[in-house]
Amino acid sequence: MDYIMQGFGEAFQLLLSLDKEIYGIILLTLYVTIMSTCIAAIIAVPLGILIGLKNFRFKRTLIRLLYTFMSMPPVIAGLFVFLVLSRRGPLGQLELLFTPTAMIIAQVFLVTPIIMGITYNSTREKGQKIRQLAYTMGANRIQSLSLLLFELRADILAAVVSGFGRAISEVGAVMLVGGNIKGHTRVMTTSIAMLQSMGDYSQAIAIGVVLLALSFAINSILYHGQRVI
Amino acid sequence: MNINMHNIIKKYENKTVLNIDELEIKKGLVTGIIGPNGSGKSTLMRILAGLDNDFTGTLHIDEQEVNPEISKHMTLVFQKPYLINTDVYHNIAYPLKIRGKSKSEINSKVQQVIELLQLESIQHQNANTLSGGELQKAAMARAIVFEPKLLLLDEPTANIDPQTMLLMENAISYINQSCSTTVVLVTHNIGQLQRMCREAVFMREGRVEKQGALRDVLSNIKGTYIGEFLEPEL
Ligand SMILES: Nc1ncnc2c1ncn2[C@@H]1O[C@H](COP(=O)(O)OP(=O)(O)OP(=O)(O)O)[C@@H](O)[C@H]1O
Ligand SMILES: [Mg+2]
Repeated sequence: MDYIMQGFGEAFQLLLSLDKEIYGIILLTLYVTIMSTCIAAIIAVPLGILIGLKNFRFKRTLIRLLYTFMSMPPVIAGLFVFLVLSRRGPLGQLELLFTPTAMIIAQVFLVTPIIMGITYNSTREKGQKIRQLAYTMGANRIQSLSLLLFELRADILAAVVSGFGRAISEVGAVMLVGGNIKGHTRVMTTSIAMLQSMGDYSQAIAIGVVLLALSFAINSILYHGQRVI
Repeated sequence: MNINMHNIIKKYENKTVLNIDELEIKKGLVTGIIGPNGSGKSTLMRILAGLDNDFTGTLHIDEQEVNPEISKHMTLVFQKPYLINTDVYHNIAYPLKIRGKSKSEINSKVQQVIELLQLESIQHQNANTLSGGELQKAAMARAIVFEPKLLLLDEPTANIDPQTMLLMENAISYINQSCSTTVVLVTHNIGQLQRMCREAVFMREGRVEKQGALRDVLSNIKGTYIGEFLEPEL
């Protein structure tokens, strides 16, 4: 039991010590997850709305695929991106493997379906009614679209929060494509996994506590935003 | 606005839900649409509003096909209205806002309909928390605030208490008279039909059974389908 208490103690010490390495890890974690969530949101929100509003051939197949990708195991996304970016892969020349960019790409793969799926669902539920209202009020296309975004604002934020949660907690994909290289691609989840395998439990707990606190803080900000808008 | 329909056929899959040879709705009047459940009244209203283009036949409003310019001057209040997730005031202000009206003009017009429909006490309440009747009142206020030339109302006073019903009817008459708005009113309430409408259309199984001046539609109906349908009410 001791090492658990010790871990909490060390967590505070770690943060207070202004240890360069630990802050580097925190900053990289934030950079990778925020970038990937933003990129995923930019792709997924418009597409989710579009799929929710339009009818087209193979829509049902697409939705089923989307739901499958929503629960895709991170290592599979990681493996896929790894193969594409590896030296002999189609994008090998870019030499992106084991860089933060590769980690962002892998996370975009994981997060996009989640944000898209949730956005699609709320649009399907409310989109038609909102557009019909806009039409009967005499709104033009842009006004209609902005009413739709306004009405779906809380749903879209919830989708982004879910995507962010997936990104920050994920370890399998970033491990595969990032490689957990010290000072370069090491993020919080991969350091926890590494510290655990080395038997350094209190350090692992310390970073775990910091990760949870960080996640709590960011979710609080986002949920606060949801209530305000 | 006057409306003319010719040979309108609307199908869902293979089921014909609307089959109207000829229908005229006269400018500046209040026309009542009656008929049993499922006879196509709401379907007709959606087509008139331009929400449903999946039909055959011709629909002319003021001698033109429905186009964006015309549809800006008309509106439909749904049987189950959708209100924007904001307060009642901003719901009512919405059609004025998208027409680029000034803040002061918006405010004075919104206050006017709030008074007309006695919405003062709920104007700052979020629309999601309204009762069924309040919701319908708010939707009515939002529809008349921009003084449309054609007002389509699909059972606007279902779930409304008798006092509020008179208030709503009063608002409909007001907009009809002060702005010469053409009103099409779907109702199951024969008293309301007689109070409000000069013209009437009786729908049955997607067809127009009878149309014309209200007293003509309601006369010589003994032994007919309409007579039977209205018997409990008359
Ligand atoms: N999306 C749809 N798919 C299939 N059938 C539909 C659809 N919408 C309406 N219908 C059918 O069209 C017919 C006419 O419906 P409509 O809503 O116009 O009736 P109504 O006269 O407004 O009835 P009520 O008095 O109950 O409101 C009904 O038989 C209904 O079941
Ligand atoms: Mg109906």
